[in-house]
Amino acid sequence: MAEATTAGGARRHRIGAPPPLAALIVRRVAVSLLLLLAVSVLVFAGTEMLPGDVAQMILGQGATPQALAGLRAALHLGEPAWLRYLHWLWGLLHGNAGHSLVNGMSVATLVGRRLVNSLRLALFTTVVTVPLALLVGITAAIWRGTAYDRVVNILTVATVSVPEFLFATLAVLIFAVRLRWLPALSLVMRGASFAELLRAYALPVATLSLAIFAQMARMTRAALVNTLASSYVEMAVLKGVRPVRLVLRHALPNALGPVANAVALSLSFLLGGVVIVETVFSYPGLAKLMVDAVSTRDMPLVQACAMIFCTAYLLLVLVADLVALLANPRLRHR
Amino acid sequence: MPGWAGLRRKLRRPASYRDNRGRLAAKQQTGLTMSDDILPNLPGGTAPRMDLPGTSRRSLLGMAMAGGLVGAGGLVLPADAAPAPKRGGKLTVAGYASSTKDTLDPAHASNSTDYSRLFMFYNGLTVFDRHLNALPDLAQSVETKDATNWVIKLRKGIAFHDGSPFTSADVVFSLSRHKDAATSSVVRPIAMQLQEIKAAGPHEVHITLSGPNSELPSLLAIYQMVIVKDGTKDFSKGIGTGPFMVKEFNPGVRSIAVRNPHYFHHGKPYLDEVTFFGITDNAARVNALLSGDIDIASGITPLATRQIKAAKGFAVLNTAAGNYTDLIMHVDAPTIGNPDFVLAMKYLQDRERIRDSVFLGYATVGNDQPIAPTNPYYDASLPQRPLDLEKAKFHLKKAGMLGSKVRLVSSVAATGSPDMAVILQDTARKIGFDIQIDRVPANGYWSNYWLKAPFTYGNINPRPTANILLTLFFQSTAPWNESHFKNPTFDKLLIASRAETDLAKRKQMYGEMQKLIRDDAGIGIPVFISDLDAYSTRVKGFHAIPTGDLMGFNFAQNVWVDG
Amino acid sequence: MALATGAVVAACFALAVFGPALAPHAEGTIVSRNIFAPMSAAFPFGTDYLGRDMLSRVLFGARFTIGVALPAALLASGAGTLLGMLAAVRGGAIDAALSRAMDTLISLPTLIFSLVVVAALGSSITVLVLTAAVIYTPGSYRIARAVAVDLSATDFVKAARARGEGGLAIMLGEILPNMVMPVLTDFGLRFVFIVLLLSSLSFLGLGIQPPDSDWGGMVRENIEGLSAGAPAVIVPAVAIAILTVSVNLLIDNLPGRRIGRRGD
Repeated sequence: MAEATTAGGARRHRIGAPPPLAALIVRRVAVSLLLLLAVSVLVFAGTEMLPGDVAQMILGQGATPQALAGLRAALHLGEPAWLRYLHWLWGLLHGNAGHSLVNGMSVATLVGRRLVNSLRLALFTTVVTVPLALLVGITAAIWRGTAYDRVVNILTVATVSVPEFLFATLAVLIFAVRLRWLPALSLVMRGASFAELLRAYALPVATLSLAIFAQMARMTRAALVNTLASSYVEMAVLKGVRPVRLVLRHALPNALGPVANAVALSLSFLLGGVVIVETVFSYPGLAKLMVDAVSTRDMPLVQACAMIFCTAYLLLVLVADLVALLANPRLRHR
Repeated sequence: MPGWAGLRRKLRRPASYRDNRGRLAAKQQTGLTMSDDILPNLPGGTAPRMDLPGTSRRSLLGMAMAGGLVGAGGLVLPADAAPAPKRGGKLTVAGYASSTKDTLDPAHASNSTDYSRLFMFYNGLTVFDRHLNALPDLAQSVETKDATNWVIKLRKGIAFHDGSPFTSADVVFSLSRHKDAATSSVVRPIAMQLQEIKAAGPHEVHITLSGPNSELPSLLAIYQMVIVKDGTKDFSKGIGTGPFMVKEFNPGVRSIAVRNPHYFHHGKPYLDEVTFFGITDNAARVNALLSGDIDIASGITPLATRQIKAAKGFAVLNTAAGNYTDLIMHVDAPTIGNPDFVLAMKYLQDRERIRDSVFLGYATVGNDQPIAPTNPYYDASLPQRPLDLEKAKFHLKKAGMLGSKVRLVSSVAATGSPDMAVILQDTARKIGFDIQIDRVPANGYWSNYWLKAPFTYGNINPRPTANILLTLFFQSTAPWNESHFKNPTFDKLLIASRAETDLAKRKQMYGEMQKLIRDDAGIGIPVFISDLDAYSTRVKGFHAIPTGDLMGFNFAQNVWVDG
Repeated sequence: MALATGAVVAACFALAVFGPALAPHAEGTIVSRNIFAPMSAAFPFGTDYLGRDMLSRVLFGARFTIGVALPAALLASGAGTLLGMLAAVRGGAIDAALSRAMDTLISLPTLIFSLVVVAALGSSITVLVLTAAVIYTPGSYRIARAVAVDLSATDFVKAARARGEGGLAIMLGEILPNMVMPVLTDFGLRFVFIVLLLSSLSFLGLGIQPPDSDWGGMVRENIEGLSAGAPAVIVPAVAIAILTVSVNLLIDNLPGRRIGRRGD
């Protein structure tokens, strides 16, 4: 059955052999670079459009016209916006992400350690959440319509409907303040033992998992159930294929595209979208850094963070698209 | 630890006798001296200090030190008859502000987190004690005869963290850089008074002011006026003379300060190490304290005090420093600037309700003028403006605005203002007046709305002296004249009060200025807000210094841990 | 199941329409000096951090929660699905252009985007709905396109192409009916996300202004009552859960979901 559809799919586009996967990746990477450039222009323009400039933000409530003028001159804010952008871009092309306008530190230094922190938090959350979400989504699809399916559905939606800051605060109140099992802050020192690491990450990872679990689990279930209703799977049912095998062998490969995309979307949230978790647990990650940088209109820092988030997102969707392609060879012509 | 009410009583008492003690100001005739008692080469009780009336705490301290009892005391003494400080231990403290903006550059320090770090790594020429006396710190004496020409003698034998000696060149550099426009110092308006700053030998500095100002010692005690090393460009190392040295400083993440073994106040600091970082989320900061992750949580909300009090082993420190959130009405704006409208808004302030609902009692009722009751120049004889719906209605009608609608801008950036706005809205509704609230982002509030929107809120941090406050916010030419209040009589009084050496006359001048603001400025000050810190009771020696939270930001060298 | 969840959803929507009429107190009125009061006969849901009646606030809040989140989710899901199908059916340059545009949009930091919107367009409910919709359109697009791409490579779509059917006919006639499940599931999730997003956007000054508040905003403004177990923070959170869970369960249990498949 599966072979038949594959053959059928390939037939129409035989003319001009499908480009090899490698070529496709190269093309996507090239497009991604252009996209990064576009995003950097938009981010720059957006930051410029925001009322208030970095000088005002640094001096804050205490800004006097003279102080503002002095600081603007010191920061070269008198130059036209496009020139400042080109300066930044030129530096970036030479491997120099610039210096923070606010504290003069190099952007690479400021971003470096926080990036490691962010990636670590994202990795832990991924390792915990993705397999669990896929398992729940797949089993719910296998036993769709059963009591298990219903309970899972209710619980899944319930988890995502709790505001993150509520869950995080509640978890801290219970596990850190009342029981004192876990720390309220996740300041991981270098050289921490594995047990300390686990304790420090338990609450942030739990909070983030709750936020992204539902999208992956529910989209997995939905994509599978949708595929199960298609004609060729119905044929398999008629042939007497057992439900588990039906889902895993026949439905899953065809549902992988949407599933991979849902996972990619969820994971892309784990770098830039975790401000609340970083704030509540005082976790020094990139999301909070970006929010700070936007607040102070610290353009080089905003750009660096935006570029990192954008790159992470593009990588994730590239992987998702590749997974979809590999799972469904009919699509390789695209 | 006594409750906040008790603390406030303690605070009030010294404030009331601070006036007679004259805070240096009244002493110019004899040559004002702030002698440093620790140094033996000074005659034990130089005449000016002996002038101080009665047995005030400071003169007692002076005598004790002159008598050779120089011990662990230092400049800011722990609370009356407190047990002896213990040495050693580490402290973890969370402030409420933290971002990549965090800086160790005194000229750019702009929030509680920065100020607290400045006092860890640097010293000023003078320093405030708990009664707001500006005592000598790096200075040995600060003297003047005419309030214009000042001679500052420096302590000898002090070294910076990198071993280089502290001299007059460092003082000239540190103070002069605030005047340079390129430094973009936040205290430039204040520093501009220091017309000439020049070294007279390695341990003496002469300062000439642009006009007489008897409060120079207080100006030098401002956190931004701390002394850095001559020629410093990179401030991230925090090279100062202060009680602690920088072990780690990561803006927006944390700082770790370790004891300076060569600190010139013998016996201090008590702590081996202080870790300081900001937790911007209010609930998270309190929870971190209650879970034992931190020892002090600065700037907690009034609501959180309930949680602190319900837990064992924690206490709240209440500092009535005079912070206020004010309703601003541009007096020269159409509609909003109508004097009757302004007056109506002042009569519509439900001050008790704001104090009780928004600040849960951690505030004192204000009277539409900016000098707080804890200030020596506060004029208690000025009649309190009450909530008066009838008068408000009368004035609105007179302004022809009853039945119309106005737009009021509020933001969480101005502490409590969204809630104060809701209360005003609710009160105004009772007389059929519709106020539409516009809640705007905290991000950018100070540059986009404050001083720009004609009907909005501001929040003013406590300033070290009443004169600084009035100069910055009410003088006709003030850069931050919130309500566009322009009054020649007021301006004249303000200038004259700086040079006035007679305390009674000066108090009278301040009284007149308060009345002028209360009646004519477009400012409604319903309450003065207390600063609240929560702390674990293992922290000792932690008391209020009413220039701000965290002991006027100077907790690090004054507290110790026990248990 | 469908009937029960349908009834709950209908009740929530009724609250959005009639809630204010049922409220015992005007929305912004401070009725008690007792803040974070527990549930009582006078205040069935207690009072909030300023001493306002929570029952009234929740009743008023239904309108600002559902009234904003529903149109925003419909817009995001609708636009995302249509564009996703278009990209999948047309392929080539259109697909590439749409996909890259969506990638760019999703790569713009939400904070900058929202702040720019407030600065440029000011704050109103309409702007809030549109902003929330734009923020969540790319996600819907990705999912819809992924499903539609798989579908457009199936034999029945090819048969339709061979029959000479136009792009629109294929999208609406062949592909859409076969992607109902993922699209509706995605819509349900977007709805939840947007309900939760509202309080953040309002916090930035975009949209709902005091004394009005959506349910998420009520959770946020009363969060300090959590340690004391104040109903002011729990009730709106439960309201959000009831609304979002029932909407999603209704989607799962819509009658006739498995009908209408087309074979080849």
